[in-house]
Amino acid sequence: MRFYLLPLAACAIPLAANPYTQFVVNLMLVYILVAVGFNLVLGNLGQLAFANTALFGIGAYAAAMLMAHAGWPFWAAIVPAGLAGAAAGFLASVTALRGIRVYYLAIVTLAFGELLRWTYIHGEAATGGTDGLAVPKADFFGIALDSETARFYAFLLIVTVMVKAVSNLLRSKIGRAIVAIRDNELASASLAIPTGRYIVAAFVLSGFVVGVAGSLFAVLIGRVIPESFGLIELILHFAMVLVGGLGSLTGSILGAVALTALPEYFRRFPGLYEMFFGGLLIVFLLAQPRGLAALAARWWPALRERYYREN
Amino acid sequence: MAALLELSGVSVRFAGLQALSGVNLSARGGEVRAVIGPNGAGKTTLFNAISGYVPIEQGSIALGGKPIHGLTPHQIAARGVRRTFQNGGLFPELTALENVLAGLHSRIDAGFAGILFGTRAARAAEREAVQRARALLELLGVSHLADRVVKEMSGGQQRTIEIVRAVAAEPPLLLLDEPAVGLAPPVRTQLVGLIRRLAGEMGIAVLLIEHAMELVMAAADAIAVLNGGAKIAEGPPAAIRNDPAVLEAYLGHA
Repeated sequence: MRFYLLPLAACAIPLAANPYTQFVVNLMLVYILVAVGFNLVLGNLGQLAFANTALFGIGAYAAAMLMAHAGWPFWAAIVPAGLAGAAAGFLASVTALRGIRVYYLAIVTLAFGELLRWTYIHGEAATGGTDGLAVPKADFFGIALDSETARFYAFLLIVTVMVKAVSNLLRSKIGRAIVAIRDNELASASLAIPTGRYIVAAFVLSGFVVGVAGSLFAVLIGRVIPESFGLIELILHFAMVLVGGLGSLTGSILGAVALTALPEYFRRFPGLYEMFFGGLLIVFLLAQPRGLAALAARWWPALRERYYREN
Repeated sequence: MAALLELSGVSVRFAGLQALSGVNLSARGGEVRAVIGPNGAGKTTLFNAISGYVPIEQGSIALGGKPIHGLTPHQIAARGVRRTFQNGGLFPELTALENVLAGLHSRIDAGFAGILFGTRAARAAEREAVQRARALLELLGVSHLADRVVKEMSGGQQRTIEIVRAVAAEPPLLLLDEPAVGLAPPVRTQLVGLIRRLAGEMGIAVLLIEHAMELVMAAADAIAVLNGGAKIAEGPPAAIRNDPAVLEAYLGHA
């Protein structure tokens, strides 16, 4: 039950927020799913797969196209967006299963993301090309998501349900098997753990979570454009997971919140923005390579997680 | 009683190197059988062949009368063969308890949906496994290590936890690959006691690769000697100690 305290407390945020800060908070919710999904493969499974913006983009485009072309309501497009991400995750897992690992996997998945971006740009009829695709008004089970506050409550519900499900998975034999494969794949097989099946499962789950995040992103921004899913975006996702803590669910949340808030804060200093942000990132990762989750667990031992070590 | 594990005429070849040729070997429940031989004799290859990590070129490997060669490592493990690794096969970032729980993986009766939604049954299955893992650590005398992370343990502690993990799911057959490497003599004595208990009390068939001869002589009921990929002798420890073929393999021509 302790898990639900934070989302319950978050329900009060709209009371204090103006539309801009509410938008930033909504963006944090989107990036929480992005980081939680990415961390499954990067931190828990320990595979250097960089398909995350591809998964994010596929989810966003799937939702936008279903809503714009097929007239589906937003709520009906969420699961298909997740499934589209899961399918892309499955493709990435096949490369990993065939022994394409580490740097090779990184390059193959990076190329996959760029290939998709090329597809968005040239698939004008479906994707609107470089101008992108306008996302129609979002309907969440009859409620119009036409304000930041309305989007906030819908997003909070979706993110809470999904993070809880991922948390359940990570704390079970499934999460343990995934971490075991990261630590020693041969030994995992010797304990009757079907390693191939769990590698695929981690990629597919990651794809589902990030695909759903893409559908929220599409609704929040109101337009999907190829430029949203490029290399800069990937670096942001990567930084969220690293700053939060590789292999830590709490870390994914903290990293997403911190790295959504900081760039917004530094926007007040035009010109110095990238410098501040980049510098802070370097200093933090040198000082605290295990991430924010390690700091948090030291201050508050109740935040300790299974399968994540602070040092 | 029929043998649990039966290897007949097993050959393994690596790109021109005959690693094993025509090896016959068997193992019985409750019995410790040591496999010894000089470096490069094919001992670890034999274990890798049994547990499915290398394919065999000829012969057959049967467990409880059913062939297991050609299966993948996790399928063979699921049929009740567990092993330890010469260089240590623990999950370094996990605690001893979590390592043992990974050894119980297939015994935890919880499906994907149940886990996803955190059903009562799924949580009960996990709790039960935790209890069982703790009880096993207690039984084998290492309960004080349960919540320590493996990478912070001594070599001897790691060897012991790896054996506990390997026997967690009560496998009928256990393969131990040089469990005494790097252990101090008093710890070796404890290890002999542990191996004897696995066979004697739990009825496990143990195959043991080991260079430390005093450990082999104390722990094994029977010894098989490999040299150059072929079995050159087999028998009780006392007979192997004086076997001229074994002496020659170890000492070379006089």
